[in-house]
Amino acid sequence: MVLIRRITRLALLLIVIGGTAILAAQQAPPALVTTQEISEGLPKDGSRWITFGGSYTNQRHSPLTQITPANVKGLVPQWTFQTGTLGNFETTPLFRDNILYVTGPQNVAWALDARTGRQIWRYRRELPSDLTACCGLVNRGFAMLGDKLFMVTLDAHLLALDMRTGTIVWDATLEQYKNGYASTIAPIVVKDKVIVGAAGGEFGIRGFIDAYDAQTGKRAWRFYTIPGPGEPGNETWAGDSWKTGGAGVWVTGAYDPDLNLLYYGIGNPGPDYHSESRLGDNLYAASLVALDADTGKIRWHYQFTPHDVHDWDSTEVPILADLTIAGQPRKVVMFANRNGFYYTLDRTNGRIIMAKPFVQTTWAREIGRDGRPVLEAGHTPDENGEITCPDITGGTNFWPPTFDPSTRTFFVNAREACMTFYSWKPDYKAGERFTGGAGQRYKSATMPVYGALRAIDPTTGERKWEFKYLNPSTSGLLTTASGLIFSGDNDGNVLALDSRKGTLLWRYQMGANLHGTSATTYMVDGRQHVLVPAGTTLTAWALPQGQ
Amino acid sequence: MTWRALCVVAGWFIVSSAWTNAQAPAARNPLEGDATAIRSGMGLFRARCADCHGMDARGVRGPDITQIWASGRTDDGLFTTIKNGIAGTEMPAQPRLFEHETWQILAYLKTLAASTRSDPQRGNAENGKKVYQANCVGCHRVNGAGGRLGPDLSRIGAARSREVLELRIRGGVEGFLPGYEPVTVTPQSGTAVVGVKKNEDLFSVQIMDTRERIQGYDKASLKEMQDNPRSAMPPFGSNRISESELDDLIRYLQTLRGFDPSVIQ
Repeated sequence: MVLIRRITRLALLLIVIGGTAILAAQQAPPALVTTQEISEGLPKDGSRWITFGGSYTNQRHSPLTQITPANVKGLVPQWTFQTGTLGNFETTPLFRDNILYVTGPQNVAWALDARTGRQIWRYRRELPSDLTACCGLVNRGFAMLGDKLFMVTLDAHLLALDMRTGTIVWDATLEQYKNGYASTIAPIVVKDKVIVGAAGGEFGIRGFIDAYDAQTGKRAWRFYTIPGPGEPGNETWAGDSWKTGGAGVWVTGAYDPDLNLLYYGIGNPGPDYHSESRLGDNLYAASLVALDADTGKIRWHYQFTPHDVHDWDSTEVPILADLTIAGQPRKVVMFANRNGFYYTLDRTNGRIIMAKPFVQTTWAREIGRDGRPVLEAGHTPDENGEITCPDITGGTNFWPPTFDPSTRTFFVNAREACMTFYSWKPDYKAGERFTGGAGQRYKSATMPVYGALRAIDPTTGERKWEFKYLNPSTSGLLTTASGLIFSGDNDGNVLALDSRKGTLLWRYQMGANLHGTSATTYMVDGRQHVLVPAGTTLTAWALPQGQ
Repeated sequence: MTWRALCVVAGWFIVSSAWTNAQAPAARNPLEGDATAIRSGMGLFRARCADCHGMDARGVRGPDITQIWASGRTDDGLFTTIKNGIAGTEMPAQPRLFEHETWQILAYLKTLAASTRSDPQRGNAENGKKVYQANCVGCHRVNGAGGRLGPDLSRIGAARSREVLELRIRGGVEGFLPGYEPVTVTPQSGTAVVGVKKNEDLFSVQIMDTRERIQGYDKASLKEMQDNPRSAMPPFGSNRISESELDDLIRYLQTLRGFDPSVIQ
């Protein structure tokens, strides 16, 4: 009898242990990150953030609704993480299974406990002292697949790190940094490949987009953003100018699994400002390209700014959506360009559906029916200078926009600014800056300098509302299904607004501005968190426990 | 910010140790007289220096720099000034400027250089100091003494041309330096406070009032905030400062080349 009771107890205990284990297993996601999980992105499960734009569409629109316009004022900080590193965040942190994976300046990276902000591991790359990165020793984030994280480096490598320890699994060289190459882009994983690009448009590089095998680090394909001799488009570069034409790739693109196409914005042609050094349209600089994700072959391109002479990289973040336009379902890619125009393109073929200025533009009157800008005279820089709007930084830039599919609204932090552009003939020397000019901010009564968060109807280009800033903002954007939009101004305030009306609902002075990236959101233990990288700190916010 | 003010201010107070890179610059400009370098230097100068120093380098907000060699400056000293800027002035450091680009700017500037100083040295500095004490000291500070509402003038002689100083004193200039934009804030309860803006964002403003009290205000708590179109500095016409007094005053201001606050034990 005693034996039977003992056996019964043991059985019960095993059932309890087993049940607990099953429950734990059910609550924890699979140990390995899958391509299906990435492909499903935020629309399927807003509790995590596992790829740069939240999903392949780059919509940065979270389905989470715990934090609302009515309660956002109650947000309280949960923790702040300090990098202890010189330089500022431009990263989109990834979040999965209660852990944050964060890249920082100078190629330092961390895994953090998202409950407390405490470090689990830290990775730091030994960088050479003679880097050529033009615009800050920054990094824009990880990609993840399986048990690996992928991160590019300022000396133009791609690393795979062990997600649990931060140690290097493999290290692939993209190009020689001494020749002007660097990399700052957040990779994305598509199927079994890691997609990256090289920066260096100010250093006479020949830009490219690469795909690497996620398991081995072996290069699967390369797409040169400047066609070589014999390839279509090479004739758009006079003489040998294609060899040093720049066209870097430093901002993450989008991916359409149904069409199996990658969409990447391409940087400026080089030398940036000197027209005569590279006569022609200069393909595929200042363009959006659609590439076959398996082969890297180009399917179509659209050049926003043929023969750009104002440093208007088209390295803004493309957003994909399916819209009904004029009664027809359309697969579109939305793009607010540094040149001051907003575009809605058919993403199956690259044809323009709609294009309209979203800031003051003096260089082009409109986008013609042939898709080319209708130019205004007098906007080629020379030694005496010419005034053009937008300025070098552009109507917007690499900070991510967002799209709310429920209201069909595209949001962008826009800049109103003009500049006197100067140009002169430069000499090319490998690894040295090769711009052939510079610019000086121009301000007048008719050309004031300010910024605004603008809500745009992507079917018409009409502005639904705007929220003005004192100074142009360089913050990315996040929307949520509850009707919120998170932004930041250039004075260090992080802001939450009603995404339908543009009214300000909440703010906090961070002491540094959200720059080049946005807030992200995810769930920790049933509570929605909002994460803000600003300056050298990462701060997580949530509503108080029990609300 | 801030390609506004690159180039050169009289930099006799820059010590050579300020050159922080391992190697010192060449004693002489290796690109002097090089036509291509001069052309590139012109573009760089116009884009990055001319806003303060003028398209002809004869000074706007920054000083006339056509006479820097005539005043005894050397190529390597000027190279260091461009590269490192001048601490405590509007002249910024240029960490991203390549060495050859700095030499290109100097190669171009050399083509504009006057062989001798042309600035008339008229006026009596001793008298000028008295004019200063009578009219300016209430709002401006020199070498640790004086008011704080206006900009510190301890280095004004190295930072402004004679023409700009004259225009400013006579009231012919209405631009405001950051930190000195005139403003009036009116709290919900209380009287209007007049001062200059030290900082501002969408939601708050930080000011120094005319009693030199520094204070921040939440804009939402204010009845009104008004940017004043005119400078807090009144114009000093010839009825207040005569032409000869003006010469004296400017001569005195031109002697102000920096303040050493170190204490000798």
